[in-house]
Amino acid sequence: MTHLTPDEVIDAVDGLLSLDQKAHLSECPECRRQVDDVSSALAEAKQTSVPEPSPFYWNQLSTQVRAAVAADASGNGWRSWLRWQVLLPLGGVAAMIVALMIVLPKREAIVIAPEEPIAHEAAIAPDASGDALELLFGEFDLDTAAEAGVLEPGVADRAVLELTAEEQAELTRLLQAELTRSKS
Amino acid sequence: MPDDSTLPMTAWTMAVVKPIADLDDHALVVEAVAGNRDAFDVIVERHRRAVYQVCYRFVNNHEDASDMAQDVFVRAWRGLRNFKGQSALSTWLYRIAVNVCLNRVSAKRVPNAPIGEVDGVEDTRIEGAAQAMMREERAIAVRRAIRSLPPKQRATLIMRTYHDMSHQQIADVLGSSVGAVKANFFHALSNLKKILGHKP
Repeated sequence: MTHLTPDEVIDAVDGLLSLDQKAHLSECPECRRQVDDVSSALAEAKQTSVPEPSPFYWNQLSTQVRAAVAADASGNGWRSWLRWQVLLPLGGVAAMIVALMIVLPKREAIVIAPEEPIAHEAAIAPDASGDALELLFGEFDLDTAAEAGVLEPGVADRAVLELTAEEQAELTRLLQAELTRSKS
Repeated sequence: MPDDSTLPMTAWTMAVVKPIADLDDHALVVEAVAGNRDAFDVIVERHRRAVYQVCYRFVNNHEDASDMAQDVFVRAWRGLRNFKGQSALSTWLYRIAVNVCLNRVSAKRVPNAPIGEVDGVEDTRIEGAAQAMMREERAIAVRRAIRSLPPKQRATLIMRTYHDMSHQQIADVLGSSVGAVKANFFHALSNLKKILGHKP
């Protein structure tokens, strides 16, 4: 039989060896020496006590623990937030806020979208045309648009030439109205 | 006036009936989790010596041991609602204590003296009888030898030798197997023998 393993040596100290292991131990001086060494070290360790602190120390320790627990409970109040009972509802509220932030701009877009035809109609309605054009373009003139590459040069000229006579008359009327408004 | 006999026997009513210091550990835990700090005070009073001794054997000085014992109880207070009573409260506290000790040792990185090269005894406490003095010196040597052991061997030796914990309980605390605990215990005692063999 092979020598006892470290955990079998501990079993020997605890008196838990099997018959085979016991038989080996009785015949093997090397294993016996190991068991004796471990047993004597254990016996010596058991005899060693911890030095007793001052009799006043124990109450002092209790007082320190009480103060530390009180400080922990009040000073570190944020810890009480780190519980699922608190974090779950908070997470739900946060998720709702995020969802609203995503949804709200879409709703604004829905509101604005119908205004575009109104602006388009404003080009036909004389009283609203100025406001509608200003709303659509503001300070943004055709030259700026061309420089920015939004409009190709000459596209406005071509658009005017493609208008019917009636549309050209209406455009002239609108431009004159705009000029009159800007002069006044 | 309400008839107390109709009330269910909760920890609270038990506390009313029995002085809090007479409650068992489990009832004290229930009380403490409910916010009764007096109950936790009793827990501390009951287990402070054992917790301090675990810490002392680990670090071998009063200041660090005291600091760590305090830390153990603060952690216990924080984690008390997680204590399910599957083990004894003392075992649960030892587990916290050993973790505090292992963390402290790894954080401080106190170099362990090579086995067999532990310094001589520094403490020269003088007592009347020469025999008592020799015994005390030997005890100091043993404590120093234990402190020089690698942390897991030290933890295993302390829990097994001084707190009568089973190999299985130690394995649970250290998160290892029973076989590994026995091997650690064997190496701890062998190293102890080697160190003390140099200082007869």
